[in-house]
Amino acid sequence: MEEKSEIKRAPIFFIAVVLIMLIMSLASLVLLIKTYITQGTFETLNVILSISAIALSIYLLLQMRRKPITLGFETLKVLTVIQCTKCDYKSIRNFNKGDYVLKEVGSCPKCNETLLIYSIFREPEKKEKG
Amino acid sequence: MSIEALMSIIQQPAAQDTIGWVIQLIWILAFIIIWIYGQRIQTAFMLREIEGSLYKLKVMRDRGRQVAISTIKEIGKPPEDPTVRVDRLLEHVDIEPVSLDPTGIIRRLEHIIDVRDLRLKDEVRRMAPYADEAQVNNLTNVLEAALALNQIYKIVRHYYLMGKKTLSFYIILQLQMLLPLIMRESEAFASAIKAFTLGQPIGDGAGALVAARLMYGKEKRLIAQDTLVSEVDIEGRKVYVVKAKGPGGNVGKPGEAIRQILEEKEGKVALIIIIDAAQKLEGEKPGEVAEGVGVAIGGPGVDKYKVEEVAAKYRVPLGAVLIKEGIEDVVSTMRKEIVDGVEEAIERVKRLICENTKEGDIVIVAGVGNTIGIAQ
Repeated sequence: MEEKSEIKRAPIFFIAVVLIMLIMSLASLVLLIKTYITQGTFETLNVILSISAIALSIYLLLQMRRKPITLGFETLKVLTVIQCTKCDYKSIRNFNKGDYVLKEVGSCPKCNETLLIYSIFREPEKKEKG
Repeated sequence: MSIEALMSIIQQPAAQDTIGWVIQLIWILAFIIIWIYGQRIQTAFMLREIEGSLYKLKVMRDRGRQVAISTIKEIGKPPEDPTVRVDRLLEHVDIEPVSLDPTGIIRRLEHIIDVRDLRLKDEVRRMAPYADEAQVNNLTNVLEAALALNQIYKIVRHYYLMGKKTLSFYIILQLQMLLPLIMRESEAFASAIKAFTLGQPIGDGAGALVAARLMYGKEKRLIAQDTLVSEVDIEGRKVYVVKAKGPGGNVGKPGEAIRQILEEKEGKVALIIIIDAAQKLEGEKPGEVAEGVGVAIGGPGVDKYKVEEVAAKYRVPLGAVLIKEGIEDVVSTMRKEIVDGVEEAIERVKRLICENTKEGDIVIVAGVGNTIGIAQ
């Protein structure tokens, strides 16, 4: 259809930077602990900086995780409502290919009148935005 | 060098001074870099974000194309591979009429729309010789949605590459700001492809569904291209119900149909009510029904113009009943709330007719929208 696209999604560089950041902050934390064990002194500012750097690195790594891409092609649960044209008979089933609204689909088991597809709609998703 | 040795060097006062200086230098350098290259760094981050969305758009476009080809093969059983034709159609361009001289622009626009429609359907018929009329309409809709995805992808890619080439902060910023809306629209088109392939009613068909319910069981006649009219009695009023011919994906020509009825009746019509799906504002619930005055017909404006013209000529009041829905619902399979909205809209139409006309009056009710999956 067309040329090869140059668009690629490669966060390798960013992952490398964050990993180096994480390793460096872990190393500095190890050094701080070592100093504390050998000399008994504790540099609060350095501890805070190290822990913040570790937290930031982990946060960035979590952010970089690839989320599953939703494209809109996912199969939705679609229902077909069938109603009798005369009595109150109503049934709901899954949508079948070839269904359309106001299609006659046999006769009513209660009164033998025509059964119609009254409506077709997709089942509401749990987390659908209003 | 062991850690102990390194620690003892670091703990020397002279070494600590040097470390302090180095850290200060790093801070100053970082400050200068951010000061000089701050915008460029921000641009790089924005470009990365756009890249992610562009990748998603590309996947959508490719999937759309793939679905279109496989549906044509499945339904139309073409003698030859339709891929080349589909690819050619996906690059189809419509050229708007010149607006330097606006006289007669609606007529010219209508002509271009008609030619486009005819051309697309002809192409589909050639690709899918075994498809019936409703399937041809549905396949045309599938191709139109795939075409829209292709266009969106190419436009976003154009601005992305232009921004990358020129490193223009403002081009990239505008694109990044618009991306959430573009993505929502693209996802809607992607789900439209699925609905069109299966022939399911879509949100845009809410108006058509109202008309279909009103005209069910009554005699119908073709009044304009792909448009039907039926005479219905509502509380002693003679109501002409207009709807596009279903269940194939069609919008018909409601404007032309209304114009013809009005001309036939020499303007002796008490009320025109048009029912259509309307875009809801954020915070509004889908399926909410609103009333108003004016011509509730979307699209390029040809039908809207025709109704406004003829209604103004005969001074016929225009009423509108709108069923609210989000942009993502317009072209995706109809949701339950919209079906409930349709029920309410029918009641509103009946109330409007009773309140604004008297027995024996003539009323026109037009249900506007794509009638895919909705018969009459």
